[in-house]
Amino acid sequence: MEHPSQPDGGGVQSARCRQCGESSGGELFCAHCGSLQRPATDYYVFFGLKRVLVLDTEDLQRKFYELSRRLHPDRFTWKSAIERQYSLEATAILNDGYRVLRDPLMRAEYVLKQEGFDIGEQRSKDVPPELLEEVFDLNMALEELRLGDEEAHGQIEEARNRFLAMRESIDKELETLYRRFDDTQDRGVLQQVRTVLNRRRYVRNLVNEVEKELAREGQPAQ
Amino acid sequence: MAYSNKVLDHYNNPRNVGALDKHDPQVGTGMVGAPECGDVMKLQVKVNPATGIIEDAKFKTFGCGSAIASSSLATEMLKGKTVDEALEIKNTVIVSELALPPVKIHCSVLAEDAIKAAIADYKKKNSVGNHAAAQVAQ
Ligand code: FES
Ligand SMILES: [Zn+2]
Repeated sequence: MEHPSQPDGGGVQSARCRQCGESSGGELFCAHCGSLQRPATDYYVFFGLKRVLVLDTEDLQRKFYELSRRLHPDRFTWKSAIERQYSLEATAILNDGYRVLRDPLMRAEYVLKQEGFDIGEQRSKDVPPELLEEVFDLNMALEELRLGDEEAHGQIEEARNRFLAMRESIDKELETLYRRFDDTQDRGVLQQVRTVLNRRRYVRNLVNEVEKELAREGQPAQ
Repeated sequence: MAYSNKVLDHYNNPRNVGALDKHDPQVGTGMVGAPECGDVMKLQVKVNPATGIIEDAKFKTFGCGSAIASSSLATEMLKGKTVDEALEIKNTVIVSELALPPVKIHCSVLAEDAIKAAIADYKKKNSVGNHAAAQVAQ
């Protein structure tokens, strides 16, 4: 990944515009002549946003619409081949970046990945054993309920409420961590985010399982 | 995604599903999870203390078809092996045996980790007075 126009990932004014030879101002569109520059591949840089975990999504959406308009293919029909190429790259980054950044979980995963806390690198040892025990037991209980009679229904609903409450408290915890990271830019906080996001995945599965079960129950008997 | 026939076979007829008494000193229990997807797997071995041979193995997996198949296959492979031979089982064997695609490799890693964890638990329980197991106990 290289961003020649933004070596630090910020709006550094060093790059020269290919079109006019002046400094492009580190902007996507040259500050001098307005021609499209090679887009930054980093989503935050691309959208001109600070690397924060709590994002103003309305602002993001505004930026998305504005850039979509400015990158519309019709505007590049008569432009140079390189600008047309850049516009295609920029459009792809725009769409991917918007999809990722507007979702708090994907956004956090993105920052974690960039900071080297990639999910693919880790093994189960990063998951606290008590959590595994608990998730396993909850799954067992759910399975038993599933095999049980109608009376189990109430318990399944109870289980759902319990899992939803767990998920909610995890989300609150994440929110707090996100803010702490934004204030401090402390990598230690990201490590905590990593752990909590892992935990959330287990709980999400439980929620999904229990909802699947309730949906199945809701169907008329065949 | 299309599962291979071997995966489907283990998925539809999982071998050795169940539990062994985790308080039994002959039993080692491994509980692992894949943070990528939130799946969990429990795998247990029952070791003959005189011979160090795994006489029984059971598993229970809450997860994808590949994870279920991987752990089912793992329990089959474990039976009759010594604990040290069991530690030699690599996830790559499971991958090729079940023809798992690249995105499902972590499911086989989960099974390998579960074997390691179960053996480690057994060794921990039997760290004194057991020849084969004691030598390599961590
Ligand atoms: S998808 Fe995670 S264990 Fe298979
Ligand atoms: Zn210019």
